[in-house]
Amino acid sequence: MTQPSEPILQIKDIAKIYPGEGKSTTVLDHLSFDVYKEFLCIVGPSGCGKSTLLRIIDGLDTPTSGQVLFHGQPITSPSPKIGVIFQTFALIPWKTVLGNVLMAISSTPVSKEEQFKIAQKYIQDVGLEGFETSYPKELSGGMKQRVGIARALALQPEVLLMDEPFSSLDALTAENLRREVLDIWRDPAYPTGSVIMVTHNVQEAVEMADRVVVLSARPAKIVDDVKIDLERPRSPRDPTLYDLADRIISKIS
Amino acid sequence: MTIAYAFALAFALAYGIATAMNHRASHVLLPLLDIFQSVPVLGVVPVVFLVILGTGPAPPVFNQEVASIILIFTAMAWAPTFGVIAGINAIPADIKEAAHAYGMHGTRYLRQIVLPAVFPELVWSSILAWGGGWYLIPVEEHLSFGSPPNVTQVDLPGIGRYIALAALQANLALALFGLLVLVGIILAIDRFIWKPLGTRAEKYKYETVAAPRTTATRQSTVAAGVRRYEDRLVSPVLTFFKSERSYASRVLELTRLRRLRHITERLRFPERITRIPLWGRVLSYAIFIGLVILGLAITIISRSQSIESGISLLSTDVTGIELVAFTILSLSRLFIAYAIALSWTLGAGILIARSQRLSRLLVPIFDIGQSIPATALFPLVVILLVDPFKNSPYLGFTLNLASVLLILTGMQWYLLFNIVGAVNGVPNDLLEATAAYRIRGRRFVKEILIPASFPAILIGSIQAWGGGWNALIVSEYIGPNANVPGLGSFLVQATAKDPALATVEIYASLLVMTATVLIINRLVWRRLLRKADRYKFEA
Repeated sequence: MTQPSEPILQIKDIAKIYPGEGKSTTVLDHLSFDVYKEFLCIVGPSGCGKSTLLRIIDGLDTPTSGQVLFHGQPITSPSPKIGVIFQTFALIPWKTVLGNVLMAISSTPVSKEEQFKIAQKYIQDVGLEGFETSYPKELSGGMKQRVGIARALALQPEVLLMDEPFSSLDALTAENLRREVLDIWRDPAYPTGSVIMVTHNVQEAVEMADRVVVLSARPAKIVDDVKIDLERPRSPRDPTLYDLADRIISKIS
Repeated sequence: MTIAYAFALAFALAYGIATAMNHRASHVLLPLLDIFQSVPVLGVVPVVFLVILGTGPAPPVFNQEVASIILIFTAMAWAPTFGVIAGINAIPADIKEAAHAYGMHGTRYLRQIVLPAVFPELVWSSILAWGGGWYLIPVEEHLSFGSPPNVTQVDLPGIGRYIALAALQANLALALFGLLVLVGIILAIDRFIWKPLGTRAEKYKYETVAAPRTTATRQSTVAAGVRRYEDRLVSPVLTFFKSERSYASRVLELTRLRRLRHITERLRFPERITRIPLWGRVLSYAIFIGLVILGLAITIISRSQSIESGISLLSTDVTGIELVAFTILSLSRLFIAYAIALSWTLGAGILIARSQRLSRLLVPIFDIGQSIPATALFPLVVILLVDPFKNSPYLGFTLNLASVLLILTGMQWYLLFNIVGAVNGVPNDLLEATAAYRIRGRRFVKEILIPASFPAILIGSIQAWGGGWNALIVSEYIGPNANVPGLGSFLVQATAKDPALATVEIYASLLVMTATVLIINRLVWRRLLRKADRYKFEA
């Protein structure tokens, strides 16, 4: 992928420190990196603050110091141009599939009919046609995450944030969904330019990403920034990927 | 009261173990228990006194004490029994198998597996049981029966009598003082007995089973340290909501609200009863009706009156239509109180969930407020709302107001605990998702908070109506010149009539009440509960 010179997101000197009784805990230790039109993975050992970083990027959490710029503008609260996909799906149990997707776009300035059409389209795109009136409880884990994806895409976001989106799914389902997410992202019909995915699965990261930002254990610092210029679709058995994964794992542990 | 508690515990253990360990027996015992707990305790008061005082050869003081203990027992027994059943049901299958494999049988199994498993539930439900006991105290320690020439006075020394007398003398200072002492005792017992016991009880919990319904709330308190820090969010809408959430749950941990909520979620829950085969239900109703008839027979024989004369008296004194009218009047009073309770508790629940300052202020107040038995407030209401209006044309209005107020005190806390708990139990990921998709303010309340508390509102409502029926009996009849027509006042007035008539009328009103409670449970709440499934968060 070629990178335009203008970054979409700029993470500037982000630190997150929790004041505690006696001593405070530093979770994120002054991180800086730019995000371009690319598929970026953030990997690191569990509990290192990856998810906190993702939440700061969306404006769900505020950093102790530093800021996140979106096209040069600081982010302070969730933006309609950024979609989020959650590890635990975060679907509302009393809303149908359609209701859950509509929820995401209900505060956009589009007419109700238009919202309905958009929701329907994305539900179809993730392969849930016919399940519009089902409730989350009636769906399998993979289907629930499809709803989560449709919900994020329906915003037609410029940036898509994913917090360990596949780690609650069984291996086969996760593999399929990974491919589908990549296909959707690469489809020029979708406006989404940047994807930031948090994961602790290094193999998953090197398979999917254009670039992997590697964080150390808490307090998290950037210990590596790996570019992966491999053609897609990639074979999971590609030896280059194994080498990359080994390199990353050695940095983490 | 302690004696009654000992009996209640023994009963709970025996009945609970029998129910939980014997599948066939449970078909009858469970629904029977459900019927028993639907009988408003206060309604039983006159019945028990009639039976005991009428039969016993022993001196009246002894008889009165026995009757009093039996009454407190009826107020206490049901919650621990459900607790025992829930505790035994919660023993994981692998533990049972392991115990079996290592040859634990009979009493050893009972001592080493069943009793420890049941212990936490017993502690939790005992808190409820004592609450029920306190509720009864102001009523049953000072009573009178019969018509003027041969009045039976029940007068037992105790704090309840003190409060009741204060009401009769219209002495505000005395009433307040009695109330203060009562609340002091209740809070002291709570701090020094239930709190340490509750902490101890946690040890006996099976981690893996850990009450599926309470996982959401448990996580919020258990997730300490690192997880908690990671989960804490600091953005405008969310942070606000979040920091209060953790604050509210901390406060809830400290107070009895949390413990009460814990129990209320697990007990009195009718789900278990829906799977009972028909013969079990029929048999249990038959047993219940049999017991009622037995009681009726004893009372009437002891009063050397024939049943026929009683029934014929009833048909001349009240008509069926009157009874129905009374029921409707009482129901409408309950409904008004319920509407008020629901609207304010929902508002308060949302406020507590969303504002730290308010929850800091309100939670301790609620904690003390709910520890006051509604019946102990009775004198205050009499003094403030009834006496000043004795001769004014507004008396009818203030009486109805007093009645609704008293019912309200019996209803509101159940709703409040359940709602606060539910609002606190909304999972984090859902809060984040709604924040990420910018659902705020009124939409957040309407689309997230209220649906999320829907199941809790239902459970709270069932309990609230139970409490309401109890309060109804005291609230409608304040004095011979100060009462409002309804089932409650009908019941109380019946006690002052000719013995045979009194008996029949008391039984009639009690049966009508129980039937109404059961019908409402079945027609309204259980149906809604089935619907509520969708609003539950997956564990």
